[in-house]
Order: sequence, then C-alpha cells, then structure tokens
Amino acid sequence: MAQREKGTVTSLASLVSAEEAQKAAKRVEGSIAEHQKELDRIRHFISDNNNLINHIQKLPDELHHDIMVPFGKAAFFPGRLIHTNEFTVLLGEGYYVQRTSKQTVGILQRRGEVLDSQVESLKAMMLDLKAEASFFGSTAAEAAEGLVEIREEYVEEHPTERMSNEADSEKPDTSSSSKVHNVEVASEDEEYARIMSRFNELEKEELETEHVDEDTDFGCSINKHSFEQLKISEGHLLGNSSLKQNSESLGQSQQNSAERSTVEILNVQQVPEDNYLRRESSPQKGTSNSTKPLPQPVKEKAQAANASKSEISDVKATIETGFDSTKAFTGSIVEHAHGLLANAASETTSSQSTGLRTSKPVSRFKMQRGSR
Amino acid sequence: MDSVRQLKVQRYEDFVDRRLKPDLVRAIAERDKVFESQKIFSDLRKSIETLEKNAATSLRTMVNLGSEVYMQADVPDTRHIFVDVGLGFHVEFTWPEALEFISVKEARLAKQIDEYTLLIASIKVQIKMVCEGIQELLQLSSA
Repeated sequence: MAQREKGTVTSLASLVSAEEAQKAAKRVEGSIAEHQKELDRIRHFISDNNNLINHIQKLPDELHHDIMVPFGKAAFFPGRLIHTNEFTVLLGEGYYVQRTSKQTVGILQRRGEVLDSQVESLKAMMLDLKAEASFFGSTAAEAAEGLVEIREEYVEEHPTERMSNEADSEKPDTSSSSKVHNVEVASEDEEYARIMSRFNELEKEELETEHVDEDTDFGCSINKHSFEQLKISEGHLLGNSSLKQNSESLGQSQQNSAERSTVEILNVQQVPEDNYLRRESSPQKGTSNSTKPLPQPVKEKAQAANASKSEISDVKATIETGFDSTKAFTGSIVEHAHGLLANAASETTSSQSTGLRTSKPVSRFKMQRGSR
Repeated sequence: MDSVRQLKVQRYEDFVDRRLKPDLVRAIAERDKVFESQKIFSDLRKSIETLEKNAATSLRTMVNLGSEVYMQADVPDTRHIFVDVGLGFHVEFTWPEALEFISVKEARLAKQIDEYTLLIASIKVQIKMVCEGIQELLQLSSA
C-alpha cells in the first residue's frame, strides 16, 4: 500500500529505541522528584509564615507575655515580652525597620504572596514535566509495540468544490440564489455537513442501483457521449470555452479521484492524528473510486439543494466529475444539464439528449426522487 | 587466576567506596556537630562572664520570633539561668554553677572531638591500606 503513496512509512522503533525513551522518562521522573522536594520546602516556608502571621496578630492583645528568653543557643532566662506592638523586621541587606503588628503582618503577607507565586510556577513546571514523562513513557510503549509513523504531503482535499463554486458563480440564472446559499453553507456546522455528505453518498448509491431499472426510460441520455458533453460544458463554465479543454477537464477529474484514493488509503492505516479519519465513513471502500465518500463540499452543496433545483443538479455534477468516465450516469446528469443549459447549450453541440433535457428537466428529477 | 585477582580488586574497591568512605563522611559530620556545640558553650561562658563583670541583674534583649522578626524582651532577674544539659533538660543554675557546668561540658566536648578525630584518622588509614593492597594486587598481576 505504502508504495502507491507519496508518503513514507517509518517504524517508530527505528527512530526511538524503547530503552532510550525509558531512560529519558526516568530522567524526567528524577527532575520531577527534585521539584517536588523544592515544592515541599516552599510549602514549609508558607506554613511557617502563616503561623507567624497568626502569632503576630495575637501578640499585641496583651501588654506583656511571660516567656523564656533565649540566651545564646543553650541557655534561657525567665522573662517576658514587652512593647508587644513594636516589631523589628529585617528588610534584607542588614536593614531593619520598626513596624507595628499590622504593618508587620502586611510585610509577611507580601512575602507569602511571593512564596505562593513560586509554588504556582513550580506546579506548572511539574505539570509540564509530568506531561513530558508520560509522553516518553507512551513513546517507549509504542516503540516496543512496533508502531509505525506515516507521513504524507498535504493534498488539496476538495478540488471539485472550487470547480463547482466557480461554475455556480458564472451561471447567470442561478448565481443570485446559489451565491447566497454558498455563503450560508460555508458557515454551517461541519458536523452537519459531514452527516449530509453521508446522506448524499447513500443517495448516490441508490441512484446508481436504480439506474439499472430506469435505464430504458433515460436510455437516450445515459451514454458516454452525454457525459463527455457534460465535461465540455463544465470546461466552458470554468472559462475554457474551447473543446481542447475537454480532455483536460476529464484528466483533471480522474486525477482528483486518484488523489482521493490516496487519502482513503491513509485513512485505512489509522494514523491517530489524521483528520481524515473522522471523515472516513467506510474504510473497506478505500480502494474503490466509485464508492469513495464524498468530501465536505458536496455535503454543503446538498444542503443548498433544498432551495433550488439548479443547485441540486450542480451537486450531482460535482459528485460525478469525481467518477470514472466509464461509469454510466442516470438522470442526475440530466438535471445538471438543465442547470447548465441557459448559458451552455448554445455552445455545445446539441444532441438529442440535450433536447430531451431541455423539455422537462425538473419533472424528471422529481420523477426520479419520487420513484425511490 | 587473573579473574580471581580481578574479583578481589573489585571487592576491595567496593569496600572502600561503599563502606569506608561513607563512614568517613559520617564521622566528619559528627565531629562538626560537636565543634558547633563547643562553640555554643564557649559563647555562653563568655556571655555569663560579661554579665558577672558588669553585675547586670536585669537585661533587655531582642527575641527572634521567626523570619527575622524581632520583639523586645525584658529579663527582670538574670541571676538564675536555665542551661541545656542535654536530652532536652534545662537546669536552673546561678552564675558560678553555670560556669562550673560549662567547664565540665567543654572538657567532655573536647574529649569527644579527640575521639572523633581518632576515628577519622583510623578510617583514613584503613582506606589508604586497602588502596595499597589493591595496588599490590595490580602490580603482581602485571608482573
């Protein structure tokens, strides 16, 4: 599978050996322990500070307190504290200042705030280190399990979306409504768009299966020729009016489907960070172009479809451009042609299918929907 | 034969690194503690002698409440002093009694220091001897 991609597949164990990751994890654990000690020390300071604040607040309550006055480190005198509202506080650098109880409490509280901020920064550092340690641990485990890393260049996800958007804006008869819808749709919830894409995909499958039954009804319009015509008209809408662009647009659409298939293959490989994964609805379809889940733009289109028929036909066109040209197409193509007709019909060589489409496009679409 | 010798050298080195050197560090730390208390008592003796000289019966001093916050303290009678005699016991002495106790205590501390100095020296000798032994083994093996 990997050979078919531009991406590379590397075993995680070849990049990081499990032992080294474990060593790194242990080292980080060690520094966490050091930080923990530092944290405990500062917490001890904080509790001391708080005790001292309480103590100092109570001291001025009495005129004097009987204490044992320390005399050196090994001796005491019985004595008492006097002048209980006068404190001499060290400010640092050998400077002392005389303060009252309240002022001293203020100084101590500010010291406490500094300690608190130190605790906060230590905690943040420890959280970082813990995250690092768990990352190393999981890396070691993954390397031991033989996980592989898959990298691939980013590929434009929805080439057809832009194409159809341009087509919309250039269509004079639908531009007013479709533009507004496009803007609204763009702001729609992605989740909703995803669900809609799933619906759309299922509808499309249904259409394809039904097509076999209804083949006789639309026989004239469902052939390769009409599909080619569609390509031509699309090419025209994009500003490529010459028929030479026909083959180009076909090639483009095929390339698009090829790109999508690579995206799908990526999904199947289950890279956890891959955004595609969430979008992926049925991995077993990965190798088949025709059943490929439709990208987001199509879903957005589908929402717009409720408002105008031409929008719907546009959506169908978007869907089908991603397909193999050998696939047969049903009434949906017919609907698309209807949308295009206003400006495209004159340029394209008119065929019987075109004529047929012009007569009753809307009712046919309805018929198709109704038959489901 | 060489491997046996190698093993012996290894064991001697382990003995030096894991037994003798930690012992030496511990003995030095113990001796430093004793030095410290010796200094405390000599300070106390000097202070009491100063009080005696000045015949100060009352004293006003500053008490450290913690975090370098001080408050004034008044000692109305300095003739009786409580001295730490060890194990958390404080004994009430008069000045001469205190001085007598301090001299006894200082002699005891000096003796302890001598003991520790001896211990440290003997540990150092042991380390040196084992190192010599290792050297001898290596010389034999190389010869």
